[in-house]
Amino acid sequence: MVDLFTYLQFVLAPQMVTGLVIGVAVILMALGLTIIFGLLDVINLAHGAFYALGGFVLITLLGLGLDFWVAMVLVPLLVLPAGLVTERLLIQRVFHSGDRHTLTLLLTFGLSLVMEDLFKIIYGPDPHRPQPPISGAVELLGMYLPTYRVFLIFFGALLIAALSLFLFRSDFGARIRAAAYDRHMAASLGIQVKSVYSWTFALGLAVAALSGVLLSPIYGVYPDMGHGFIFLAFAVVIVGGLGSIKGAVVAGLLLTQVFVLASLVMSPVWADVLVFATMVLVLLFRPQGLFGSLAHG
Amino acid sequence: MSIKRLLLVATVLGLSAGAAAAQDTYKVGILTPNSGTFAKLGQQQTWAYQIAADEINEAGGILGKKIEFVIEDTEANPKVATQKAEKMAQVDKVGLIIGTVSSGVTLATGPLAERHGVNVITSTSWSDAITMDKCSPNVFRVNARASQMANALAQWLGQNFEGKRITYVGPDYEMGRNTVSAFKELAEREGLVSATEIFAPLETPDFSPFFGQIRASQADVLFAPMAGEDSVRFFTQLADFGLNTQYRLTGGSGTITPAELPAIGDAAEGFTFATGYTASLDTPENQEFVAKYKQRSDGQDPTLYAADAYGILYLVKAAAEKSGSLEPAAVREGMADMTWDTPQGPKTMRAGDNQAIMPMYVVQITDGAFEVIDTVDGEIAIGEDLCTRW
Repeated sequence: MVDLFTYLQFVLAPQMVTGLVIGVAVILMALGLTIIFGLLDVINLAHGAFYALGGFVLITLLGLGLDFWVAMVLVPLLVLPAGLVTERLLIQRVFHSGDRHTLTLLLTFGLSLVMEDLFKIIYGPDPHRPQPPISGAVELLGMYLPTYRVFLIFFGALLIAALSLFLFRSDFGARIRAAAYDRHMAASLGIQVKSVYSWTFALGLAVAALSGVLLSPIYGVYPDMGHGFIFLAFAVVIVGGLGSIKGAVVAGLLLTQVFVLASLVMSPVWADVLVFATMVLVLLFRPQGLFGSLAHG
Repeated sequence: MSIKRLLLVATVLGLSAGAAAAQDTYKVGILTPNSGTFAKLGQQQTWAYQIAADEINEAGGILGKKIEFVIEDTEANPKVATQKAEKMAQVDKVGLIIGTVSSGVTLATGPLAERHGVNVITSTSWSDAITMDKCSPNVFRVNARASQMANALAQWLGQNFEGKRITYVGPDYEMGRNTVSAFKELAEREGLVSATEIFAPLETPDFSPFFGQIRASQADVLFAPMAGEDSVRFFTQLADFGLNTQYRLTGGSGTITPAELPAIGDAAEGFTFATGYTASLDTPENQEFVAKYKQRSDGQDPTLYAADAYGILYLVKAAAEKSGSLEPAAVREGMADMTWDTPQGPKTMRAGDNQAIMPMYVVQITDGAFEVIDTVDGEIAIGEDLCTRW
């Protein structure tokens, strides 16, 4: 009995809390993906590269002597115009073609390759890691947890809540959802659908860049830093339902908990298999994912 | 005079000029990556070769001949490398090719070197195969192979942690699994008790899910042969959870190098590994080398790769002087069981497998610096001669 408690307290509980941090990280990545997919019907394979862009802009700003918190606010604001330009100059060119899925897939994949090589050329091959802005660790119910990770859980949750408030309670959010539901009807009601597209795409990328900033003190900054997350994020988007915010949150928590708990008892390689097996299982019974689309909440 | 004639004359003149030059120079091909991920290693080696060549040329060259380099980029690609090596052997008529980095490239140049009768000396490739089952009479290695570093670390662990528990955390791909299984055998032979083996996929962003298993293994020593970005994440995350001070952290000689150390910072404290060189070696020969290298490299410390590279030309010089000729066959003969001095200490080229025997240093990261805490005798670290081709 004592052994069971020790196991719960020192192994299982820290493992689940750790899983929460990864969950928040994956959900932040998945949110950007799912918003872009839900509205524009574009699968953005360059999402991981914009996540890395956030990390690289952060270390540049820190190198200029800026404070981490100031940089954290600045990075998404700087990535926003980059997102607008990408949508206008690249996505819009192939958006109206009949073969939108294939073309945007190839386009964003190519973009990610170019971006990753640019990072390599500009920043060199050596790894970078910004110091966490909050150091130290806290003891919580006998668990030893890095303070920055605890902060991430709460801040991430806040961010997710703010995003869904924005989408479901704000005027611009209503326009996004209207355009996602029926863009012709939205356009005839006077919504500037084209500009809604650009801003939403840029918003998704800004969220990716912000995740890059938040996670770089833990995961480091390097050109292909997005690779580790992007597959899990795609799995989360698919399981949660393409375009669903609620789905991304629920699926993100589900899959990461499956992963961390499985990692306790089996080789991490098999834990990966289990995560994707869960995805297949969900799709077998609910091919549309757990929840509905962006337009329907 | 027609243009054809002019060209002919020019060619003849060019050829004879080339022939005249060939008589008082010794051409050495530097076949190294000058682009891509490994470009830095290529640059470090080239600096070291140039320092050695300048020293030797100033003192009169090798058997009166000045060393002259022919430099080609391998792009770290065996296919490109063999083409360039072919060109070096046939067009440039070099007798010696040095500088190969990736083990795949070194292995690929072996058959080619045998065909053209030239010599290949590597100072960077780690794969055991090069001087074991895939050994070649024309391929030599002056740096420590992977198993020399593992032997040395296991030896040191056996002396200091006998009977203690050790947990292995390796990257999940062929090389990582091989490294762990080979090291596990050595550690157990030296009296350590294996607790758990954990393999994490390459590019694992978050290692904390494995910390539960690490904690539960109740180990005293952690062997984590990671590299690059994986090293940075693993060791910093370990420190975030306060686990770094609970174990003796160990790994490979490429796990934490001066390239990763700034990104890992304090989390690297106490990390221990075995290597053939560190810039902090306190010998007059090394201090002289470090000073010269810093001048050439704009203040950077020499790396393991630079130090190993520096010694090659001195080995060739000693071998040629012993056998009285710079012909590749004569140099090969001269190198057999030759002992020569390097900034890393004396090395001996073992005739049985063309692998250099050298002292190995146990290095611990202390206050952000690489500190030598022990030396393992070269004869203990070298292991058996497993080459059976001659």
